[in-house]
Amino acid sequence: MTLLYALLVGVAMGALIQRAGASSPKMILASLRLENLSIIKFMATTIAIGMIGVYLLGNVVPMHFDIKPTYLVGVLLGGLIFGTGFAVGGYCPGTCVVGIGERRTDAWFALLGGVTGALLFTLVYRLIEAPLIKPMNYGKITLADVTHWPPLAVAAVFAALLLTFVAFIPTIRASRQDRREPAASTR
Amino acid sequence: MAELAASPPVAVPAQRTGVHLPRWASLGVLFGLLSTVAIALYGPIGVSGTYPRFIGAILRIVSPGYAASNSYLVKMGSLVTTETMLVVGLLVGGFLAALLSGSRAPSAELVHAGETSVGRRYRDAFIGGLLIIFGARLAGGCTSGHIISGITQLAVSGVLFGAAVFGAGMLTARLIKGGR
Repeated sequence: MTLLYALLVGVAMGALIQRAGASSPKMILASLRLENLSIIKFMATTIAIGMIGVYLLGNVVPMHFDIKPTYLVGVLLGGLIFGTGFAVGGYCPGTCVVGIGERRTDAWFALLGGVTGALLFTLVYRLIEAPLIKPMNYGKITLADVTHWPPLAVAAVFAALLLTFVAFIPTIRASRQDRREPAASTR
Repeated sequence: MAELAASPPVAVPAQRTGVHLPRWASLGVLFGLLSTVAIALYGPIGVSGTYPRFIGAILRIVSPGYAASNSYLVKMGSLVTTETMLVVGLLVGGFLAALLSGSRAPSAELVHAGETSVGRRYRDAFIGGLLIIFGARLAGGCTSGHIISGITQLAVSGVLFGAAVFGAGMLTARLIKGGR
């Protein structure tokens, strides 16, 4: 039954990603170049609603939380490598699959690169586990554990910060020439 | 600047008029509710673990001895997981959304100054794909597992991963734009 749930969640998620434009490498690069923040705002809104949602609902029904461990070196180094690849290719592991669904040819190359990266990682895992994954592992910690606040309170503050950001930062940055004309904020 | 002159394909946010939310906001609210529902039903969304599980499924056929001796493949386990089903769903969802909305995605968008041909775009997509999966597996998750699900659950790992991704991503985008 959970397999069916996951399939349905995947279909809905793929459709949302496609409609948001997050499967477009051009939109990803526009976000990373701070020219059009709509994808970043889409993600920030998702996270803000989700963190309130899970910790509110968690008071009512049992939730299937699964916190990933914080092993500092691997998480940060992995994030830096991921961010570099994100800017080079314009795809994430999931958005390239959505991109294949909407018939983007370059998404196949991102997927193929991903499979190659997975093979490479599998082959070197034994070498990098000790220096990069084992050290400085603080376990499955959350911001609630660190601050000793109730999770819902942390979620409320964090969500408020995210929603303030999405509401007040302009989505589309006016180019240098247009900056003096307020009406020219949408292209 | 010039390579971005064409308007973005789908996600042009609506002007804020009256009660209409921009598209990123309404879609973000829906995605937030969806990730909440997923955690209530079975667990947080994630994608990138599917790639090494796929490698494992192939190696178990091609080279069962090696597959059984590789501790990472053993740890990641079978391809029959909720995460694999989610990835299949992503494919279907992307296909259906493009079909039903009548939006036609370009076969390839050139996004960097150095992408003077479609072949170079394919090369960048391949290199980018390799780096994101290697980085995601090193960190233990990707945009969905670490950034969306992780930060949603207030995981410290998700916040750190997200900061590293956007830091390196913005820097790299800037460096590439400067010409290479």
